[in-house]
Amino acid sequence: MAVDPILDGGTSIDEVALEPLACGRDAAVVWDRAEAGTPPDAHERDCPHCTAVRADAAGLSSLVHRMAAEDIDPPPSVMERVMGAVMSELRPHDVLQLESPHGANRLGRPAAAGVLRGVVDRMDGLRARSCRIEQVPDRFDADVTITVTARFGVDLASVTARVRQMVLAAGEQTLGVPVRRVDISVVDIWGEP
Amino acid sequence: MTDVRLNVGDSAVARIAARRAARVPGVVALRADLAQTLVGVAGSVLGQDRSRLPTDGVNAVVRGQEAEVSITIATRLGHNCRDLCRTVQQEVAAEVAAQTGLAVTVRVTIVDVLLG
Repeated sequence: MAVDPILDGGTSIDEVALEPLACGRDAAVVWDRAEAGTPPDAHERDCPHCTAVRADAAGLSSLVHRMAAEDIDPPPSVMERVMGAVMSELRPHDVLQLESPHGANRLGRPAAAGVLRGVVDRMDGLRARSCRIEQVPDRFDADVTITVTARFGVDLASVTARVRQMVLAAGEQTLGVPVRRVDISVVDIWGEP
Repeated sequence: MTDVRLNVGDSAVARIAARRAARVPGVVALRADLAQTLVGVAGSVLGQDRSRLPTDGVNAVVRGQEAEVSITIATRLGHNCRDLCRTVQQEVAAEVAAQTGLAVTVRVTIVDVLLG
């Protein structure tokens, strides 16, 4: 049975050199033998061309292994930068439209909701939980749905009125989004320790 | 008489816009999008040319004599988002027009409002 001498890598390599060195041996075969850790045969030990190829193979191998073993040392803020970018990568429906004579601008919906939650959090005895802002299609005003928790003892009857007023004012003053309607749910009561 | 035509590239417009936008009171930071951040991270690892002005947060496209600029910013609680966007639009459009002669459309996106 005929065996392909190149694949075989045996003694008949001289006859079929595809990338012949000056000595007639195939550079690829010499390289493969060196990479496989095969000790140089009698010819390779004395031949300058084969020695050069074996040195090349060894050089590349040590370079690759050294680089692969090196610890990657990211600058300290990489994680924050990438996460910040991921967070601010808004999908088209994640923005509110802001009115402008020069063409509408956009406000990230999560940021806007954060503002409304933030102002409610600053009210005495109240904490905001969720906040949803839905803009009226093709207009700039919005409907706000917000859930809050109240400290035990806070007058619940007035909570809705206070929160409504705060959301209306914050929508206009800090966001620049007129608020058309506010739905408020008091979902829980908490006590001071 | 020699006919001279000035061609202003996207990057040039973006750098002018970024520089002006960052100086508008109420703009806390320009926010790079994901692609810009990854390129920036790669650049800081590989070593980049620091003489270039940053364009993080700004995308600009020049078509003929018109430029479209989109700017992504973060602001701080206390600045009216709508009014801030209008100011950035006006100032960036005026600056780019003054420096390049292009007609500029600017769109501003606020992605973050710092509450602190």
